[in-house]
Amino acid sequence: MTAQIVLQVLLSGLLMGLIYALVASGLALIFGLMDVVNFAHGDFLMVAMYALFVLVAMSGADPLLLAPVVTLVLFAFGAAIYLGIVRFAMRVQTNRGMVQVFTTFGLGLLLQGLAQTIFTPDYRSVDGGIVAGKSVALGGIILPMPHVVGALISLAAFGLIWLLINRTDLGKALEATREDADAVALVGIDRNRVFAIGWGLGSALVGLSASILATFFYIFPGVGNSFVLIAFVTVALGGFGSVYGALAAGVLIGLIEAMTALLVAPSLKMLGVFAVYLAVVTFRPRGLFGSM
Amino acid sequence: MLEVRHLAAGYHGLVALADVSFGVAAGEILVVAGANGAGKSTVLKTVAGVVPARSGTITFDGARIDHLAAHRITRLGMAFVPEERRLFPRMTVRDNLRLGSYLHRRRADREAPLATVLRLFPRLEERMDQLAATLSGGEQQMLAIGRALMTRPRLLMLDEPSQGIMPRLVAEIFRAIEEVRRAGITILLVEQRLTESLAIADKAIILRTGRIVVAGTAAEVRANPEVRSAYLGM
Ligand SMILES: Nc1ncnc2c1ncn2[C@@H]1O[C@H](COP(=O)(O)OP(=O)(O)OP(=O)(O)O)[C@@H](O)[C@H]1O
Ligand SMILES: [Mg+2]
Repeated sequence: MTAQIVLQVLLSGLLMGLIYALVASGLALIFGLMDVVNFAHGDFLMVAMYALFVLVAMSGADPLLLAPVVTLVLFAFGAAIYLGIVRFAMRVQTNRGMVQVFTTFGLGLLLQGLAQTIFTPDYRSVDGGIVAGKSVALGGIILPMPHVVGALISLAAFGLIWLLINRTDLGKALEATREDADAVALVGIDRNRVFAIGWGLGSALVGLSASILATFFYIFPGVGNSFVLIAFVTVALGGFGSVYGALAAGVLIGLIEAMTALLVAPSLKMLGVFAVYLAVVTFRPRGLFGSM
Repeated sequence: MLEVRHLAAGYHGLVALADVSFGVAAGEILVVAGANGAGKSTVLKTVAGVVPARSGTITFDGARIDHLAAHRITRLGMAFVPEERRLFPRMTVRDNLRLGSYLHRRRADREAPLATVLRLFPRLEERMDQLAATLSGGEQQMLAIGRALMTRPRLLMLDEPSQGIMPRLVAEIFRAIEEVRRAGITILLVEQRLTESLAIADKAIILRTGRIVVAGTAAEVRANPEVRSAYLGM
């Protein structure tokens, strides 16, 4: 095994890891803000991929150019889901946690069912546009262009989240609501509005990641399941609710996955990820970067 | 400015307030006193929209505010500092204050109250970048009052600002309350330290098990024989 192969594998893992991080970021953001785990996260991803599919079919535009549109559509979708459904699940007095689990899980099943009905179970794909089939060569290392662009978009998105949280009033309102959702009314903030915006932002990040994934992955009603497990592991590993923890954990998972594929077998690449995950939850249950 | 009429409120089955009526005119300080569990905090929480009124009316500048959500009441110009203070503990003093002016978009509406708060409580200025959780009890109370003032309220509601605070800081807080009133802000003050509060108050009410038992001007309440024996220890 040459150094070049190792480097190739590590760089591919890093790129995929950055994309995983972006896929998980919305889940972490919503959980961090309000302690609600969105079990429909993967199905939001599926909705976003179909939204992109429809937009590409209608406009013929490049999928990456449509990414901002999908991001906005998912913002509205997420905010509407909060205001129309999740808000009421949070109002129950008994067994609130379970009610939230079943509400979001049921919502996911509903979305999958709707996708089956509207789009049939067929595999679809969008024309990958300008990045499709291209690759970047660095020395002897070859990296697929969709992954390179996806990883860069992911980094840019995390940069924007950082700016939003640290440099804007809205970011401070999100942070304050995360600290004490009942106390924000004392400064005139409507917690429901902040929660709706949080769901909007979390879902917008899902929309952005879907636009990246669709350039190199098939679209079908169960597509969310292919990614949601990694997203949950990423969020747990990163420390529940920490967006930057999700970034670090996503990268770690990408690297472990790639190294396992190289050292053990490509078909077992997830094995290494789950082994590390089990070790972390056993010995450090708050995750690698969780503060609690 | 604030009119409370026949107010009743409670928690689950429990009745905490029954038929409470009082009014506060602009620029006044009204003290709400009474023993533990008498319903003092419930009065403020109901006016602030944190606890729903069961019956009766609350009007602010002539408009009904019972049934409004807490954040709407803040937006009308009423700021509430609860007994538990409810700061954002893992945020800095600066960010806690900044959140207080969340509703104000104009720079002047943010800078003017900040200057006032830092003049009232100079020790907050030294601790601007410290996390709220790391402040002493007295400093946390100052920050809670400061955050409330950042909303530019016309009515300020304080629930036992002297609770659990060392005497020197208590004096500082009472001085600040007087100064806030001098700036034209009306104050509804819940306090157990009756002597000190009556010294700065215009009017007072005393609650017992959710009902008003004594009401009047500060001088009248101070002179009331029952108050003297039961609450002032004279
Ligand atoms: N969250 C709550 N749930 C149930 N009962 C409550 C709650 N808060 C207060 N009570 C009850 O309502 C009554 C009035 O309480 P309140 O807090 O208004 O009294 P207080 O005069 O502020 O007392 P203290 O001097 O101890 O602060 C008490 O009997 C109290 O036990
Ligand atoms: Mg009280």
